[in-house]
Amino acid sequence: MDIYLPIAEVSVNWPFLVMLGALVGFVSGLFGIGGGFLMAPVLVFMGIPPTVAVASQASHVVASSTSGVIRYSGMKAVDYRIGGIMAVGGALGALAGVELFRYLRLLGQADLVVAVSYLVFLGAIGSMMLYESLTQILHRVRGETPPRKERRRPMWLYGLPFRMRFPRSGLYISAIPPFGLGVFAGVLSAIMGVGGGFILVPAMLYVLRMRANVVVGTSLFQIIITTAITTILQAGRNQTVDIVLSTILLLGGVVGAQFGARLSGRFRAEEMRAALGLIVLLVGIQMGLELFVRPSDLFLLAPGVSD
Amino acid sequence: MFQALPPEPAPIVAPVQPGVIERSVATEGEVRVAAALTDAQVKVDSSFRGASIVLYGAVFNPTDTPADVVVVVRGPDAPVRLVKKTRNMGVWLNSRPVLFEGAPGFYMTASTRPLSDVADFGQLRRLGVGVDHLRIDAPQESRTVTRYGVRDVVVSRLGENYLDWRRAVIRLKEAAALYNTDPDGVQFVDKGLFRAEVELPTVAPTGKYYAEVWLFQEGAPVSVSNLTLTVEKVGLERDIYEFAHRRPWSYGVLCVILAALTGYAASRVFRSR
Repeated sequence: MDIYLPIAEVSVNWPFLVMLGALVGFVSGLFGIGGGFLMAPVLVFMGIPPTVAVASQASHVVASSTSGVIRYSGMKAVDYRIGGIMAVGGALGALAGVELFRYLRLLGQADLVVAVSYLVFLGAIGSMMLYESLTQILHRVRGETPPRKERRRPMWLYGLPFRMRFPRSGLYISAIPPFGLGVFAGVLSAIMGVGGGFILVPAMLYVLRMRANVVVGTSLFQIIITTAITTILQAGRNQTVDIVLSTILLLGGVVGAQFGARLSGRFRAEEMRAALGLIVLLVGIQMGLELFVRPSDLFLLAPGVSD
Repeated sequence: MFQALPPEPAPIVAPVQPGVIERSVATEGEVRVAAALTDAQVKVDSSFRGASIVLYGAVFNPTDTPADVVVVVRGPDAPVRLVKKTRNMGVWLNSRPVLFEGAPGFYMTASTRPLSDVADFGQLRRLGVGVDHLRIDAPQESRTVTRYGVRDVVVSRLGENYLDWRRAVIRLKEAAALYNTDPDGVQFVDKGLFRAEVELPTVAPTGKYYAEVWLFQEGAPVSVSNLTLTVEKVGLERDIYEFAHRRPWSYGVLCVILAALTGYAASRVFRSR
C-alpha cells in the first residue's frame, strides 16, 4: 500500500493520505476554510520534506475550494467583485511570499518563521473566535439577550480613496482594504502553505462587515486564485510540487469537502465557530511549542542549496 | 577471467601465530580481491521502498597473512547545509547555516572487523574510508562567502566547534539511514568467498554510486576493486520528475488545472445525486 512520491522522494502509505485528504476536506467544507493549516503538520510528521508538503497541499486547497465555490456560487453567495480585488492582492502577495520563503530557507530561518506565524496567527485568531462564540453560547444558555453588536464599520474604510460599490456584500467602501487583505493572505499562503481562509473570514466579518452569507463563498473564491498562483510559483521557482502527492490528497479532499459542506447547515453558527476556534488554537499551540521545547538534536539539516 | 590461482584461501578466522609469518611464500601469486554486484542498476518506481543489493566477491590470498575486506559504497555528492538551534531568551532559534561541501548523499562501509582494527587512523584518513574519515569540509579558510545574496558562515577547519558540526552532519545522515557503518557486514560464506549487503533506503539519492572493495593486510591496502551502481527513476516517476524540472511552469499550470477539474467534477457528481 506504499507509493513512492517522485518529487518528495519518499514512499508513503497512500490509503492514509486519501483519508487525511478526506478529513481535511471535510473540515474545509464544514467551516469554509482551505484547511491547509491542518494538513501541513501531518504531512511533515509523515516524513515529507516541509517545502514539498507546503507546496503540494496548495493544489489540494485549489481542488476543495473549487468544489466549494461552485456550491456557493449556485446559492449566489459569492461576491466576485470584492473577491476579484482580493485575488489581485493575493496574487501579488503570493509572488512576494514565494520569494520571501526562498530567502528565508537560504538563511535557515524558514522553520522559525513558519512556527512563529502559526503560533501568532492561529493562536490569536483561535482565541478570538473561541472567546466570541463561547460568550454567545453562554448568553443563549442563560436565556439572556445577546448584547447589541457594534454594527458600525471602522471609519477609515470610508476615508480611503478608490471607493467602489459591492452590491452583493452590501458595501460601498474603498478598494484598498480588501486589496491589502488579499496581499496579506497571499504572503501567508506562500509561507504557511495555507489558503488564508482563517484570516480572511474573520477579517471580512468583523472588519469589513460584509454580509455574512457571502463571506465564506467569497473567501473560497479568493483562496482558489491565490493558491493556484502559489502552486504555479512553487512549481516554477522551487520545483517542490509533487503531483502524485497532491492528486492522492485531493481525491479524498473533494469528497470530504462535499460531505462537510452538507453537514455544515445542521449546526448553529456560534457552535461551529467555537469548534473551529478550538482547532485553530490547538494547531497554533502545537506548532509554536517547538520554539520553547528543547529540541532532541541541536543540529538540523537546512534545505535549499541545490535549487 | 580470474588468474588461475591455486585457491589457497585466506585464513581469516585462525590467523597464524604472530612473528612467524613467512613473507616469501607470496612470490608466485598476487594478493587480490575481485567483486561484483548482484544488481548494478536500481530502478526507482512507484513501488520503490528501498533496495537491498548483494555485493559478493572473492579473495585470492596465496600468503599466510590474514586479509581484511572493507566495502565502501558512496552515493553522489551533494552539499549539506546545517543549522544549530540555540536558545535566545527562552526561545530556540536557528543559527546561520554552515555549508559542508562534498558530503556524499549515501555512504556505507562494511568490513570483516571494526575499521579501527583493520588499519590505523592515518591510513584510513588517507584513503577516506569510514564515516570519520569522509572528506566533508566547510571550506578551509575562515571567510564569509555570499551566496544568493545571503551570507553563509564558513567555519574554520581549526575552529573549536568544527568537530561538533561535522559529527552532526554524520549523525543526521545516519539517522536517515543514509550513512551506515557495519563492522561485521562482510561475511565469508566459503573460503575466500565473501558477501556484503548494501541497504538503500527510500530516501537514497538517485545518481551514480561508487563501490570500492579494499583488501587490507597488516593495516595496509594491498588490493582494490572498483564497481559502479546506478540508482535511477524509471517509468512514470522519471517522466514526472523530469517534467517537473525541465518545464516547471507548465508542470505547475497542469497541477492547478488538474486540481480545479477534480474539484469541479466532484461538485458535479455530488449535485446530481
